[in-house]
Amino acid sequence: MPVQETFYEVMRRHGITRRSFLKFCSLTAAGLGLGPEFAGKLAHALENKPRTPVIWLHGLECTCCTESFIRSGNPLAGDVVLSMISLDYDDTLMAAAGHQAEELLEQTIEKYDGQYILACEGNPPLNEDGMYCIQGGRPYVEKLRHMADHCKAIIAWGSCASWGCVQAARPNPTRATPIHKVILDKPIVKVPGCPPIAEVMTGVITYMIAFDDLPELDRQGRPKMFYSQRLHDKCYRRPHFDAGQFVERFDDEGARRGYCLYKVGCKGPTTYNACSTIEWNGGLSWPVKSGHGCLGCAEDNFWDKGSFYSAVTDFGVLGDVEADADRVGAILAGAAAIGVAAHAAVSVASHLSGSKQGSKENG
Amino acid sequence: MAKTVSANGFDLDDSGQRVVVDPICRIEGHLRIEVNLDEANTIRNAVSTGNMWRGLEVILKGRDPRDAWAFTERICGVCTGVHALVSCRAVEDALGIPIPANANSIRNLMMLAQYTQDHLVHFYHLHALDWVDVTSALQANPRQTSALMQSISNWPKSSPGYFSDVQNKLKRFVESGQLGPFANAYWGSPAYKLPPEANLMAVAHYLEALDFQKEIVKIHTIFGGRNPHPNWLVGGMPCSINVNDTGAVGAVNMVWLNQVSDIINQAIAFVDQVYIPDLKAIAAIYKGWGYGAGLAGKNMLAYGEFPAYANDFSNDSLMLPGGAIINGDLSTVYDVDVRNPEEIQEFVTHSWYDYPGNSDGGLHPWDGVTEPRFELGPNAKGTRTNIEALDEGAKYSWLKAPRWRGNAMEVGPLSRFVIAYARGREDVKELVDSTLRDLDLPLTALFSTLGRTAARGLECTWSAHKMREVFDSMMANIKAGDTATANMEKWEPETWSVDTKGVGIGEAPRGALGHWIHIKDTKLENYQAIVPTTWNASPRDPAGNIGAYEAALLGTPLANAEQPLEILRTIHSFDPCLACASHVMSPDGQELAVVKLR
Amino acid sequence: MATVMETKHAPENQAAVYVFEAPVRIWHWTHTFSILVCAATGYLIAYPLPSVGGEASQHFLMGNLRLIHFISSYVFAIGFVVRLYWAFVGNRFSRELFLPPIFKAAWWEGLWYELRFYLFLTREQRKTPGHNPMAQIAMWLFNVLLGLVMIGTGFALYGEGLGLGSWADRLFGWVIPFFGGAQNTRMWHLMGMWLLIVFAIIHVYMAIRADIIGRQSSVSTIISGWRTYKDDLP
Repeated sequence: MPVQETFYEVMRRHGITRRSFLKFCSLTAAGLGLGPEFAGKLAHALENKPRTPVIWLHGLECTCCTESFIRSGNPLAGDVVLSMISLDYDDTLMAAAGHQAEELLEQTIEKYDGQYILACEGNPPLNEDGMYCIQGGRPYVEKLRHMADHCKAIIAWGSCASWGCVQAARPNPTRATPIHKVILDKPIVKVPGCPPIAEVMTGVITYMIAFDDLPELDRQGRPKMFYSQRLHDKCYRRPHFDAGQFVERFDDEGARRGYCLYKVGCKGPTTYNACSTIEWNGGLSWPVKSGHGCLGCAEDNFWDKGSFYSAVTDFGVLGDVEADADRVGAILAGAAAIGVAAHAAVSVASHLSGSKQGSKENG
Repeated sequence: MAKTVSANGFDLDDSGQRVVVDPICRIEGHLRIEVNLDEANTIRNAVSTGNMWRGLEVILKGRDPRDAWAFTERICGVCTGVHALVSCRAVEDALGIPIPANANSIRNLMMLAQYTQDHLVHFYHLHALDWVDVTSALQANPRQTSALMQSISNWPKSSPGYFSDVQNKLKRFVESGQLGPFANAYWGSPAYKLPPEANLMAVAHYLEALDFQKEIVKIHTIFGGRNPHPNWLVGGMPCSINVNDTGAVGAVNMVWLNQVSDIINQAIAFVDQVYIPDLKAIAAIYKGWGYGAGLAGKNMLAYGEFPAYANDFSNDSLMLPGGAIINGDLSTVYDVDVRNPEEIQEFVTHSWYDYPGNSDGGLHPWDGVTEPRFELGPNAKGTRTNIEALDEGAKYSWLKAPRWRGNAMEVGPLSRFVIAYARGREDVKELVDSTLRDLDLPLTALFSTLGRTAARGLECTWSAHKMREVFDSMMANIKAGDTATANMEKWEPETWSVDTKGVGIGEAPRGALGHWIHIKDTKLENYQAIVPTTWNASPRDPAGNIGAYEAALLGTPLANAEQPLEILRTIHSFDPCLACASHVMSPDGQELAVVKLR
Repeated sequence: MATVMETKHAPENQAAVYVFEAPVRIWHWTHTFSILVCAATGYLIAYPLPSVGGEASQHFLMGNLRLIHFISSYVFAIGFVVRLYWAFVGNRFSRELFLPPIFKAAWWEGLWYELRFYLFLTREQRKTPGHNPMAQIAMWLFNVLLGLVMIGTGFALYGEGLGLGSWADRLFGWVIPFFGGAQNTRMWHLMGMWLLIVFAIIHVYMAIRADIIGRQSSVSTIISGWRTYKDDLP
């Protein structure tokens, strides 16, 4: 048995013709937003590169990333798992359990030290010695560090791994911590979203395997190919925003005509993701298209920015006291106005008495 | 301790060999099971431990109640949407917001789609490998597999060529030596009983179901914008309906409604022609393996789900009724009052939490307290951060122990079906009776691991067909001129009561789900959820009742003490969801006292 | 620093001082105007007007509001740069805005004195040809520091629309993660607007007050440039 079979060999073994293989390459290249010249590159890469082992760990999370991953339509999640990568560990899908499952981790380290991709779903809690997430009787953070030590690169799936997400929302009782704050010495690709879009997930992993390289990342560690634009920039309701046509309340006339959801709290103008272009579940719809504003789920700490239905943002620096910029600003402006009025009154009084005194002295 | 009898009547003996299974894979979240085996490798004591705690409910304190659905939806991404729905119901209950008929239908459709997809994925991808030997499929004769398939179903993908292709695919996969998710499993164990042809058929459907499941959730995508984690709205649904006016392309229109209808047809076809025949074929072979009853048939609980009439949660309205069965008496179904402080209570004596004054008493969720206290009992083996074996005499789980009138209860599809059956619901009776007749089994055969698995399958077909019914009634309502999907009268916080409490109940695919809330000064003062897996995976309570997982494992013989296949079977039959089960809140919504910041 | 101080003699009183040169005065008024326009349009971007009817293609209300906001923002930013340039080439008062002499003991003493004055603890205000120490610190905080924050956050947000790799993104893109995301950056930008309003209220009051009851000219100074005095006392 060839230890390191190429992706193309695997596909051939699975009875896929060269023609279908090339078609797959051009579709994937197009799906990644790459030009047709990349289809050839991709095909070359897949024919010659060995299949990469992937270890998929779960910390504190809700498994929505895995659920999203298996919704991928192009490529199909089944094809990714069975033919494109070698998913050597994933506690949500694997047949083994208990120590037979844990043995697989050591086997992977032994065989593929420094060569496997570590896919992290969820994050480790650090409070209570890490025992808010126990795996095999030990803190999850230990397992994460151990597997990270020997990996080639890390994919941080979803907002939990990328930012902390819901369990890290104020007051973060378990001290749930994103991967990049625990693992400091490995390249990390953040694929945020709660969850990320299925095809974005398979797109990122396919890119990494096909090109044997990390995707180009933005300042915050997200692949530029999917996270370089705001939803707002590519939203099909943008003309209504520019025109000044808004949904004022859910299910009003504007809602039935598909007006802009900005006034009912849409976070599209501040959220970097591919929802408005790639859309969800095979390009069928996405939150705005189905009438609800964007929650901003791909953004850092999107839980602590005030109500999802408010167009303005919670201050977030005053602890539990809810205060948005307008409330604070209006209070300050009001205080300034009152202060000025009071000061003016005292000035007038004092000036009058002063001039009286002054005239007495002079006189 | 050695031999004892639990308060709910189960013999326990912890003297034999202790076997630990951690992690239990193919579930949501992190679960640990420890068992003691006697000389014959039969389970005589079982310990179920929730391995994680996220503290979502303390995070909810002080938030806008209209946002709560989004937070609670993130309790679980597998049963996505169910917490959001129940959260909306809780807020609507507290604030007195009735929802429009269309919103009710859309919610029912989304929940039914969730049942259908979740049950399908559970059966094939989380549970099937406990019964199906993947490597044995390599020995199958594709022609005979085709004959088998055609004898039980008229599903078109059944030719010898098709199965031969699947087998070749599998053969090459196995030959590559990179077994991926199938590595290191229990293939070849004598516990696997299916003939190679049935195994091949099931493997083919494992792959088909993986491709098909993503179609069902498109119902969520249409109404909620995406899946997982579609969007919901307090007061109705955010998707407006516009079928016959300017701008219909910007709302739920005829194209989308047609698509929903189409998906429903596909789902019915797949479930009836693939899932149900597979289930019956597997059940027919394994029906002698009657283990795993536990609390099934004894103590079962359901709140009920799918209100036919908007805002009416009485059993007359619910398509699946609620109720409680105690001590195996199916002739009496008790009504459940989730607001009564005497009925539903949670205990923490064996959980990693403290109640004020170390009380062993139970608390109703409206008065719930959760202060984490992680400590191992005196008989635990290992250290605090390297646990070898737990001490079930002390605290041993991140789950609390919920009880109904002091009883440990089982929840889930089987409980729902048994309660509907006991309440004389004809649709459920017919499904159950005809299936039992086909398999030549008595009703009591349902009270087992296999019964749980079967009930889930039957509920899957029930849900798929119910979607058609709900869709048609929604279309009739739209035709009658009602297109409203949201009631915004009480949207603004100024219209709310200053201090109010509410409860939202429903049935997640995994069982009874309740959210209890307290709204004060337009903010969430207290939020408390009791979820299905907390009932089923519950640890012991101070009275000595063991939980449903623990009870179900007792008396099961293992074919090989090194391989926990039978444990997986029974645990998986409950469809565990541990992220759901972890929770927290303190008295009157005060901050957690014991969170140490290091 | 050897700036020749121009003086002219008003009829009776102490000699007037030429404080604000023409570029400074022009800057003051364009700055004022740009802040007013930015605040009005910015508020309407945060809280849009009620929806307009008809087809989207017939309207461009939000688009125009944003356009006006961007133009007046450029006026604000370019004005800031020009004003900074003038600090190098203008008279000694032109530097006060950017460099309060915080390393001089006398300045701190002056600040203490002014504080007491505004709290009515002392009767007479000292004469200062430029800004008094208290005004200097306020000018620096609200015009220099806050001005930079508004320019930084503003162009960072503007760069989001121009796209990754645009000049605004390259120069100011780092601001967004610095503030903890686009939403927070918007929030601080909005907060900045309110702080500018607070400053404007106090600034206008102080100026008028000084004109009425102070010993030196104030409002007229920013129009004519000349600081005149009402008495000859030191």
